[in-house]
Amino acid sequence: MNRKKDKGFESPRPYKLTHQVVCINNINFQRKSVIGYVELTIFPTVVNLNRIKLNSKQCRIYRVRVNDLEAPFIYNDPTLEVCHHESKQRNLNYFSSAYTAAVSAVDPDAGNGELCIKVPSELWKQGDEMKVLKVYIEFSLDQPKGGLHFVVPDVEGSMAERGAHIFSFGYQNSTRFWFPCVDSYSELCTWKLEFTVDASMVAVSCGDLLETVYTHDMRKKTYHYMLPIPTAAPNISLAVGPFEILVDPYMHEVTHFCLPQLLPLLKHSMGFLHEIFEFYEEILTCRYPYSCFKTVFVDEAYVQVSSYASMSIFSTNLLHSGMIIDQTPMTRRCLAQALAQQFFGCFISRMSWVDEWVLKGISGYIYGLYLKKTFGVNDYRHWIKEELDKIVEYELKMGGVLLHPTFGGGKEKDNPTPHLHFSIKHPHTLSWEYYRMFQCKAHLVMRLIENRISMEFMLQVFNKLLSLASTASSQKYQSHMWSQMLLSNTSFLRAISNVSGKDIGPLIKQWVDQSGVVKFFGSFAFNRKRNVLELEIRQDYTSSGTQKYVGPIKVTVQELDGSFNHTLQIEENSLKHDIPCHSKSRRNKKKKIPLMNGEEVDMDLSAMDADSPLLWIRIDPDMSILRKVEFEQADFMWQYQLRYERDVVAQEESILALEKFPTPASRLALTDILEQEQCFYKVRMQACFCLAKIANSMVSTWTGPPAMKSLFTRMFCCKSCPNIVKTNNFMNFQSYFLQKTMPVAMAQLRDVQNLCPKEVLNFILDLIKYNDNRKNKFSDNYYRAELIDALTNSLTPAISINNEVRTVDNLNQDVRLILEEITRYLNMEKLLPSYRNTITVSCLRAIRTLQKNGHIPSDPSLFKSYAEFGHFVDVRVAALEALVDYTRVDRSSEELQWLLTMVQNDPTHYVRHKILSMLGKNPPFTKAAEANKATESPLCNEALVDQLWKLMNSGTSHDWRLRCDAMNLYYTLFGLTRPSCLPLPELGLVLNLKEKKALLNPTIKPEQPGGASELPTAMAFSVSTMKVEEEHLGMEHAAPIPIPLPSQALKRKLDTPLGSSPEPGQVLQDEPSIKLPSKGRFPTQDEEDIDMETVHDSQAFIYHHLNMLERPSTPGKEPPSVEQSLLSMPSTPMPLFSKESSSSSKHGGGGASEHGHHHHHHHHEHKKKKKKHKHKHKHKHKHDSKEKERDSHAFSNSPASGRSMRSPSLSD
Amino acid sequence: MADPNVMAGGSLNSGSRSGGSKTATSPAENYILARRRTLQVVVSSLLTECGYESAEKAAVESLTEMMQSYITEIGRCAKTYCEHTARSTPTLPDVVLTLVEMGFNVDTLPVYAKRSQRMVITAPPVTNPPVIPKALSAGQKRTHPTHIPSHFPEFPDPHTYIKTPTFREPVCEYQVVREKAASQRRDVERALTRFMAKTGQTESLFKDDVTAFPLIAARPTSIPYLNALLPSELELQSLEETDSSEQDDQTDSDNNHGNVINDDGGADKENSGLPSGGSMPSVKAPEEGIDNPYLRPVKKPKVRRKK
Repeated sequence: MNRKKDKGFESPRPYKLTHQVVCINNINFQRKSVIGYVELTIFPTVVNLNRIKLNSKQCRIYRVRVNDLEAPFIYNDPTLEVCHHESKQRNLNYFSSAYTAAVSAVDPDAGNGELCIKVPSELWKQGDEMKVLKVYIEFSLDQPKGGLHFVVPDVEGSMAERGAHIFSFGYQNSTRFWFPCVDSYSELCTWKLEFTVDASMVAVSCGDLLETVYTHDMRKKTYHYMLPIPTAAPNISLAVGPFEILVDPYMHEVTHFCLPQLLPLLKHSMGFLHEIFEFYEEILTCRYPYSCFKTVFVDEAYVQVSSYASMSIFSTNLLHSGMIIDQTPMTRRCLAQALAQQFFGCFISRMSWVDEWVLKGISGYIYGLYLKKTFGVNDYRHWIKEELDKIVEYELKMGGVLLHPTFGGGKEKDNPTPHLHFSIKHPHTLSWEYYRMFQCKAHLVMRLIENRISMEFMLQVFNKLLSLASTASSQKYQSHMWSQMLLSNTSFLRAISNVSGKDIGPLIKQWVDQSGVVKFFGSFAFNRKRNVLELEIRQDYTSSGTQKYVGPIKVTVQELDGSFNHTLQIEENSLKHDIPCHSKSRRNKKKKIPLMNGEEVDMDLSAMDADSPLLWIRIDPDMSILRKVEFEQADFMWQYQLRYERDVVAQEESILALEKFPTPASRLALTDILEQEQCFYKVRMQACFCLAKIANSMVSTWTGPPAMKSLFTRMFCCKSCPNIVKTNNFMNFQSYFLQKTMPVAMAQLRDVQNLCPKEVLNFILDLIKYNDNRKNKFSDNYYRAELIDALTNSLTPAISINNEVRTVDNLNQDVRLILEEITRYLNMEKLLPSYRNTITVSCLRAIRTLQKNGHIPSDPSLFKSYAEFGHFVDVRVAALEALVDYTRVDRSSEELQWLLTMVQNDPTHYVRHKILSMLGKNPPFTKAAEANKATESPLCNEALVDQLWKLMNSGTSHDWRLRCDAMNLYYTLFGLTRPSCLPLPELGLVLNLKEKKALLNPTIKPEQPGGASELPTAMAFSVSTMKVEEEHLGMEHAAPIPIPLPSQALKRKLDTPLGSSPEPGQVLQDEPSIKLPSKGRFPTQDEEDIDMETVHDSQAFIYHHLNMLERPSTPGKEPPSVEQSLLSMPSTPMPLFSKESSSSSKHGGGGASEHGHHHHHHHHEHKKKKKKHKHKHKHKHKHDSKEKERDSHAFSNSPASGRSMRSPSLSD
Repeated sequence: MADPNVMAGGSLNSGSRSGGSKTATSPAENYILARRRTLQVVVSSLLTECGYESAEKAAVESLTEMMQSYITEIGRCAKTYCEHTARSTPTLPDVVLTLVEMGFNVDTLPVYAKRSQRMVITAPPVTNPPVIPKALSAGQKRTHPTHIPSHFPEFPDPHTYIKTPTFREPVCEYQVVREKAASQRRDVERALTRFMAKTGQTESLFKDDVTAFPLIAARPTSIPYLNALLPSELELQSLEETDSSEQDDQTDSDNNHGNVINDDGGADKENSGLPSGGSMPSVKAPEEGIDNPYLRPVKKPKVRRKK
């Protein structure tokens, strides 16, 4: 891709966008449609700019004018349907490469787009003078499936009274879904935005609101926004609704918007936003770059937080009242995240996709600094550890996450991530999970850089980047300064080296240019004679997701005389490291022991080894390597570490390690931690669960009451009657969280029969019974939900006798009690719903667990009713999770169908995404299980394959994220290759094209691993697949023609009813047979020799070939009336155009194929040439439209033109 | 003519009375009836003395009534005089004074008493004075304390002044209180939810017995986030109890977000042209000096805006 060299930004487009007007003059909530126009002001950068490629998806385009002249255009979106339905290919490799090709074909970063506008010839001359062109496009959206989301509650009243609203959304650059634009983060321009909405609505968008003006009938008003700071189209957003407006009391230029009735919540939730502002402005020593900021809270949000230029759209579910504890930090985090992205992500944009990690990294890093300041160092370190564990777990499981991929000229061997089933070349081909991990890794790497160059320098770098951008933003376009607002990997690294003077090359190479994490195994021995600690650190760098680490590593050794840091060098072959100890063992001396932080403490040293002065050892305590450490030390050392090490990370590590040492000493250490109020509450919470595990391991020797019971009683129960809990008072949050967690952990206790002890169950039931919140300032909904969770945890599988049917009568007595509580709680929720329906969520989980454990009959109907649209989203997700689980356990195809139907039809995008990702995490069956006959699932059948295939092929074209989710699920269920449940292809000979992934994924057929001829580029691959198919058809009907010349091909196409797809199986069986003849027919074709650099040219092929299907070029129905009117339109600008199209309209597909064929030949001619001719060819290909005649021919023959007769996208 | 009539009438009367008294055979009634009958005989004999041979029943009855009133009045007055002089038992002078007061010539009384034709009337049959039924027996009847002479009236029946508690003494033990509160709340909740379940649609966890653990059917709402996010009334109430100031703040804002559009005069005029149907977006009252574009009034359309 566009690998940026040291030079500044080079636009992939032959023009530069300077200003864009977006005007939406009608939003119809009833019909869910939008009408408007855009006007792009562009400067051609080449002479004779004759084509302008823009991005636009699902918009219906009525007319395009360039400088007031009607301009013909082609609208073609290959991502609508990735593979054509005549193809019986069902392997994911094939799909993935085709999908990547399709995305590339419209990738704005490569200068491509769905909408190709032909500049009227009258304006060509102007190109020489580099005159400004104004491209005016009228468009409409009808029931958009992506990009804009309509929320129209089904109640009485006007739209405003109903709380109907609309907002833009999308994953990465998705603005093309709602207006035509250059949908790239690197194409900056200034904006004028106008939205005409109902008088009762408010339109919130990017930039400054200049004025609001009534329309003449006074029924509507127009919001005029101006965004003078150059901004990329993906950072433009819109929200319209009957919002309540709150001007921030601390910062009057900040305005908050929420849906009706939620104003009190908004007031409370936004009360501290100014602190975040102040914090960022202070550390960055830079003012917030935009003159205003708007927060909008909407229902059915796509993601919780999305940031756009000078505004952010949040989920309304982040709002909370002052009574809610748990949501408060979460909401603050979301706000802080959004604001960090305002600086890095919106104001400073990325140069290309491969530079994404820098922006995500910086925004994540400064967000982390905010967390550190607000929630404290403990919380921050805990968070870093959590994030580190997450990324380590993901990479070890799924393979490496690569922050800065380089795509070496498209050579397949250079595929940077062969372990993934998707391409990381585009944001839109990325799995959501991977992207989340990518962001996580990015900010962790930023932290590593900070460790290396100090925070001061780090902030200086940010300040420098921001100042540069801010200077550039105030300049006119002509100054060519705008590219300073784009950040790339290179410019970031250069800024670092300029500011700090340090070389962070190795660090970047290790973590940014390479994927994988480090896996250390550590063990030690103490050599008494030499008084030396012999540390052995081994690495696993062979398993997937790992890499080898060479360099320094910090080891901290706590000895009797104090704590000592040692920096060791990890080298190729050195495993052992000798660390001299400072202190002799001397257990009898009573002396305080100094800790790392200077504190001196008394310790009971009786537990330790008499011969060794070592208390504990930590490897890489500062987490300055992305690593997983498995370190072996004695249990007493872990216990000392837990008790006396002050770092929360160390404490958590020791808690984790102590699980393996179920001894009374561990128990004591954990109990002490639990009681220690100075200890970080999250550590204490974790200790609860560890204690439960230890208690279970020690069940036969355990003495005293169940673990934590007496502790809980002491902390939270009444002095006079220890079985009754005090009335709730959550003023102390630490003890609140502990109070919530302890019952949940206690419920995990098991007695010798592996049942939850009766005492514990009764204790929890009593907690529920005596729970009294009347005197509490805070809501107890989370607490009660956790008590239900505790009940759930206490459940164990029912003892089933002869598979008896579960009835009320044979219900276990304990279960009956539990069920009573759940029933009551769930019913009370209907009358007095809790915040975010947390209790319903817990109850649904409990019911599913009861079902799964065989206490009550397994039945999905309850969950289905809760999963319906119209319930609160958390409830729906919980119900869906239960259904997904049911589908897996009961192997129910009916429920799977139900879920998949919901994926296709549900109005909420988040829910669709959630269903697929939950199915992926808890799949009804897996490829591995399918391989074994015994575990074969009846669900795995051809119909499901087809259904999922269809879903990812065409059913999810409106939502990148959803499509990738579908691909993930397909991968989990069937793997990369052809699903095993499909019948074998008839002749055993299948498409034997094999590629390794370079640009694209390989298409490896396991049935035919050998004899694969290699096609060098993915483009070529796709093209030749198409080609082969066509030629096959050609052969069938015009067999005697040995070499189909263009004219013959045309003739053939006219004769061939291509509209009907070939019989199933035919393609599969015929393609390989064609392979050889095709080679024979083109003896000069040396496939090895195909120029790899001609990707761009090839994209043109893809562009046309992928479009051969009979499908509309614009989504939605095609009203015949429009056709008619279009047909009858006078075709002044290009007479040839309309003439051609009328003829090709009869043979829509045929025309397209012919054109493809034409190009195809072109391609083959080209293939003969040696590399030195590449450039020439490229040039020729790109500008083959120089000859006007030919150009128009190409246009008229292009698939879209043929198609456009049946679609309203043709404008002239 | 009169006597048999009287007798007949009397017997008739007494018959009916006795008929009536059969049902009400209270001793008090018998006592009164006996006295009255004696009085009636007295009246009749006086009439005979005066020379009447017969009298109508009604006339005798009236005369008896008058006689009774007269005697009663004498008794009442005499008692009043006696009490006036701080005594409890009337004496002869009291009666004399009364008679004088009533305009009776006392001097004629001895003469009249000694008249020759007077008839001797038998004393009324001895009947027990009626026992006052104990309406309410509550508590011990109290006797006079020593400093009150015994002739003073007795204390009234205890039921007239004794306080009878209608509730039991509340139990203040913490454990019991909590226990009670908990079970009471649980009972209320259970009853309420059962009622809701009975009266509406339900879902069941068991196919064999749908009434075992009735779950109120989940009903989708049009705007699900409102119920889920806004605090319930109960929570607001408890908040009010714990912190009234905060609550005040909330209600204030509730009132505020009605439809307040803060416009100056010019804008008002513009707004008047608005269709009244659509509700205006609510705008928080701008504080002094805030210049936020969203709070500014909406402008009138210009003469011709280029579209």
